[in-house]
Amino acid sequence: MIKLERISKSFGRHQVLNNIDLKVSKGEVVVILGPSGSGKTTLLRCVNYLEKPSGGEISIGEFKLDCRHARKKDIHQLRQKTAMVFQQYNLFRHKTALENVMEGLLIVKKLPKEEARKRSIALLEKVGLGSKLDAYPSQLSGGQQQRVGIARALALEPEVILFDEPTSALDPELVGEVLAVIRKIAKEGITMIVVTHEMGFARDVANHVVFMDGGVIVEEGTPTEVFNHPREERTKQFLKRITPELNYSI
Amino acid sequence: MGAPFDLSFVFSFLPKLLTTLSTTLLIVACSLLAGVIVGFIIALPRLYKVPVLKTLAEVYISFFRGTPILIQLFLFYYGLPEVLKLVNLDMTRTPVLVFVILTYGLHTGAFMSEMIRASVTAVDKGQVEAAYATGMTSYQAFTRIVLPQALGIAIPVFSNLVIALLKDTSLAFTLGVMEMTGKAQTLGSVTQHFIETYIALALIYLVISFTIEKLLLVAERRLLRHEDQGSPVKRKFSLQKKASYRHIIADMGPGKGGGA
Repeated sequence: MIKLERISKSFGRHQVLNNIDLKVSKGEVVVILGPSGSGKTTLLRCVNYLEKPSGGEISIGEFKLDCRHARKKDIHQLRQKTAMVFQQYNLFRHKTALENVMEGLLIVKKLPKEEARKRSIALLEKVGLGSKLDAYPSQLSGGQQQRVGIARALALEPEVILFDEPTSALDPELVGEVLAVIRKIAKEGITMIVVTHEMGFARDVANHVVFMDGGVIVEEGTPTEVFNHPREERTKQFLKRITPELNYSI
Repeated sequence: MGAPFDLSFVFSFLPKLLTTLSTTLLIVACSLLAGVIVGFIIALPRLYKVPVLKTLAEVYISFFRGTPILIQLFLFYYGLPEVLKLVNLDMTRTPVLVFVILTYGLHTGAFMSEMIRASVTAVDKGQVEAAYATGMTSYQAFTRIVLPQALGIAIPVFSNLVIALLKDTSLAFTLGVMEMTGKAQTLGSVTQHFIETYIALALIYLVISFTIEKLLLVAERRLLRHEDQGSPVKRKFSLQKKASYRHIIADMGPGKGGGA
């Protein structure tokens, strides 16, 4: 289980996150929604300490980290329990698809080369890229790059995978293939926290939806609760803008 | 004006000049090695923004970039023994070559540090984030992810620095080192065929520069092979595909007209 308690973050005087509490159970898919600037990406990046929270606690299973006195060793340990899929894919540019997936297994998990290779090939086949093992990122389409990114995250067998707007940089045509892969691994019971603007995807896949605005969690609940019966005025406004009511007149 | 021009002297001078080639190359090689080490030491505080050291590094760089190499040579050759005399170190028996290599090493180091800083900064920040997210330590992220990519970006600049250093070593004769230019001076004075000596000298420098340039171009292609892809047509028309231009593009962020 992943537990965030009283996570705060401010850039200078600007408070981006204000005492956020969030629980994610094992195998759960949590989708974070919200307008831009609401702090959802920052929150996600705080979970693996790419952004240093100003205060609060992060616990993953037995492991607990107090953000005010986090040591280098703790941060390193936290990062080994998480993996991230980036909006801009961020594949290692000088490595092939296969090497990208193998890198973490070899360097961080210290697996023997043959073992790492076998596992990486299996994962790339799973995301439908068995024929692109030796391609460099510059030779792959955005959708393919993002699928390598997902395979790279899966390879680490983390407690949770963090998805930071995984489809926002993609051509509309390529969004489908990436979402299909994420759906597939969600069904396998991998814990995920997803920041996205894909409402349809959130409705289908999420077990739990969180709506953020202005650095706080405004509303959370099951997809049905949040999408069909939002309680807060701010949530209603947001959903209305994202999914405009059909209003045709002839 | 010396003796009348005679082309045959050019050819007869070539082997004589080449006997001192090893001295020139020794200066270049040792200074490069020193330069890379110094460059790293100077670049690190600037990359990691270490308060006081960063300012010291900047002062160091502006001194070596802002003064002529000839003056630096004289300052080290005549000045350093005086300074060391104060701490009772006698340098009168130290070979001149040591001062020459020291000066060129420190001089190149200043430029190297700028090269290192620029190439490391040119590597996309997302690469480091991805490395951290994978669970790497900052050392692993630097050596496995940043450095290999920065090397490819640095090579065009490095190539320029090596060639500039090679040519700059011609000033070492002012301190009496018998390298190629020094030898040429002597040959010229003895035979009075100055123009022929300098033509022969120029030819040698040209051939070495050319060889270095080509060798480093091969290295660059190899290091950037992950970028040099795409269809032949695309490669022909795309500016970015040519690795040498990449460092120009490297400074521009995506979304600001730089293209992703």
